[in-house]
Amino acid sequence: MAGIHDLGGSPGAGSIDKSQHETEDWEHLADAVTVVLDKKGIKTTDEHRRAQESLDPERYKSLGYYERWVAATEILLVEKGVLTREEIDKKVAELEESP
Amino acid sequence: MSETHNGHDHPHEEIKTGAESSLYAGRIRAIEALLVERDILTKEEVQSQIEYMEARSPANGARLVARAWIDPEFKTRLLSDTKAAARELGMDASGPVEFVTVENTPEVHNLIVCTLCSCYPRAILGRPPDWYKSFAYRSRAVNEPRAVMREFGLDLPIDVTVAVHDSSADIRYMVLPMRPSGTEDMGEEELARLVTRDSLIGVSVPLEPVLAG
Amino acid sequence: MTARFDPGDPVRVRPEDRRGHIRTPSYVKGKTGQIETGLGAFKDPESLAYGGSGLPDKHLYKVAFRQKDLWDGYAGSPDDTLYIDIYEHWLDPA
Repeated sequence: MAGIHDLGGSPGAGSIDKSQHETEDWEHLADAVTVVLDKKGIKTTDEHRRAQESLDPERYKSLGYYERWVAATEILLVEKGVLTREEIDKKVAELEESP
Repeated sequence: MSETHNGHDHPHEEIKTGAESSLYAGRIRAIEALLVERDILTKEEVQSQIEYMEARSPANGARLVARAWIDPEFKTRLLSDTKAAARELGMDASGPVEFVTVENTPEVHNLIVCTLCSCYPRAILGRPPDWYKSFAYRSRAVNEPRAVMREFGLDLPIDVTVAVHDSSADIRYMVLPMRPSGTEDMGEEELARLVTRDSLIGVSVPLEPVLAG
Repeated sequence: MTARFDPGDPVRVRPEDRRGHIRTPSYVKGKTGQIETGLGAFKDPESLAYGGSGLPDKHLYKVAFRQKDLWDGYAGSPDDTLYIDIYEHWLDPA
């Protein structure tokens, strides 16, 4: 069965929305962190793709492009024991309180 | 933006901004902060990568095309080793992926897609447009290329063959469009201004001289 | 390791339904095309995706398919072609 990412020739795809959004700061950040981790050999492009493909199909469909990148980066860092989810949760809360 | 087709929703793609995406914004900021604290990477490395990406743009592709249009030997080099040709023009396209340029001719028109994940020649052209990453483009560029191109205003005659390239592995593709007619007296910089990002992907062709102004 | 295929060789993509990370889209599985060119040898993404070494290298081929062979009711020229880069272990002689 085709994974949700295996999109070539999928039925029901509508017309192409040509609108363009301005890349937000956090998206620049998501892109850069992914690439730097790759350059440092902490994760590979292939692992990054695999992590995105492992997302629940509903999640894959509903997340934006860089949201998937952040989700994949988190999956891999946790999988590799670099960070834990709890640490990330805690840091998110900390940054929200005093950005 | 979702529609139903045969009772199934096809992928619902919102371009999220601001508050809606703050969940992921918060997570990546937290991840960066932790990675810096652990000395896994530095803010400077991240900033340097952000600046590297900002420096890549379709203008690089336009320069390669304009040079190929006026210099047949450069064109041969561009088609045989795109990375080396980019280096010749001072562009840093180094990295593990290979780049291949495919040439449009009166007989063949090329279109680039990555159905599995939106791979794109980022190191030369910068980030792809949102539409290139859309589920609609990733689905339809392979089975309905002519209809897709018509949505971008390009209606190719049936005697022009359409060649779609799905960049499924480590090769990234860029189109070398045909030089518009009536441009014989134009210099390299003027010619580069006719080369749009969309013509480098293949959904359209370069601007005509009168339109570019 | 020498490449198994030469340009012009007819090849069929294995119709396997494999779990996990692969770079062979389902729309070419079971389809017959022709080797356009060899692209050299690369580390295997199916191994790299799980932290493997990716070795031994796998040969990568640019394979050409006639669009009318891929899609029922394809609307276009009979000469319209789809090119895709496929790893050798997904290809059999046709």
